[in-house]
Amino acid sequence: MTPQGDSPTTRKIVLDGLWHNNPIFRQILGICSTLAVTNLVLNTVVMCTSLTLVTALSCLTVSLLRHWTPRNIRMMVQTLIIAFYVIIVDLFLKAYWPEMSRNLGPFVGLIITNCIIMGRCEGFAGSNKPIPSLIDGFFNGLGYSFILLGIACSRELLGMGTVLGFSIPWFTEHWDKWVIMVMPPGAFFTLAVMIWICRSIKPKEEKA
Amino acid sequence: MKEKSLFPVGYMFVITAVFSSVLIGLNAFTRGRVEANQRIAFERAVLEVFGLAQGGPSQIHERFVERISPPKKGSYDRTYVLKEGDTTKGIALPFEGQGFWAPIRGILGFQPDGKTITGISFYEQSETPGLGAEILKPYFREQFEGKTVSEMDKPVRLRPAGSSLDSNEVHAITGATQTCTRLERILNDAIKEWRSDSSDKGAAP
Repeated sequence: MTPQGDSPTTRKIVLDGLWHNNPIFRQILGICSTLAVTNLVLNTVVMCTSLTLVTALSCLTVSLLRHWTPRNIRMMVQTLIIAFYVIIVDLFLKAYWPEMSRNLGPFVGLIITNCIIMGRCEGFAGSNKPIPSLIDGFFNGLGYSFILLGIACSRELLGMGTVLGFSIPWFTEHWDKWVIMVMPPGAFFTLAVMIWICRSIKPKEEKA
Repeated sequence: MKEKSLFPVGYMFVITAVFSSVLIGLNAFTRGRVEANQRIAFERAVLEVFGLAQGGPSQIHERFVERISPPKKGSYDRTYVLKEGDTTKGIALPFEGQGFWAPIRGILGFQPDGKTITGISFYEQSETPGLGAEILKPYFREQFEGKTVSEMDKPVRLRPAGSSLDSNEVHAITGATQTCTRLERILNDAIKEWRSDSSDKGAAP
């Protein structure tokens, strides 16, 4: 926003959130929802959008209140703020997209306990200005989202032969569907493979 | 010193009050819509078993009010009846029970004889996507159309895919054994309860 000086920081925040300090494969946070909602791509998209919005707005709010919040009760305040945004998302889905709300079931409410949000609020927003905090929250959400989408696409494709509900030509005819990919263990395997791939790409990038 | 130790309490109190009042407001604002959504989902499920669930929410609601007579208050009979004039065209039996993860709730439709199934629909379930949740797919639900459930000896059965079927049997979903076993029990319990209620009523003076 402000000229000079600030732009490399913004760039660093963005890259950290998306890659160098990615919440999933670097910090290994937010794994619970990674495992729970990735068997259908559509569910994952909605989950990721909700999480990104909640993280960004919570970080913004925590940062705005950082000078007034007493240190000894900051965790309570953060949880309150996160819960506030999550309930808004939940109400919105219930009112305007009831089918999706039914699909995601309790998982929207469980965003409150997603470690990524708490981690960003505590680790970044609590000691930084509002706008960088908003960017940080947003890009950490995106970092989480692209890994989750990768997992969801491979699980839905290998497990059901579809992506976003559309059948993929070769997979519907010749592919013997792997039932385990749809079940929770499938998420563990896919997540492990994703982390492996991402971590083996990283060193090359650092040299470059 | 005392003031300082009270500040966090006051701060927490104020901030909770502010956020909660916003949420209470939003909740009140959306409550009507949320309840309407749930009602429409149910009405759509009832109409679906008679093949009448075309159109948007308002059309569904209008048709439901016009064609379906709900169970009388205080009676044991839980069925919704499809009327055309004064004649009964179909009977919708709501069922519910524990699925694999959470309750499954739905409607089983019968012709006026109370034996021939016209259709099945679900308005609440949280089965595993791709496995148990396949009960929502047309290929599974269409199997029920025209099946007959006679008095005692032939309850609804879900048989392994590929097996030959009797008039009371449909193919289960491979990989969703738990969902199918539970659904079979839920359906038969609902039918049994309904029949025992209506025979009680018939026997009573």
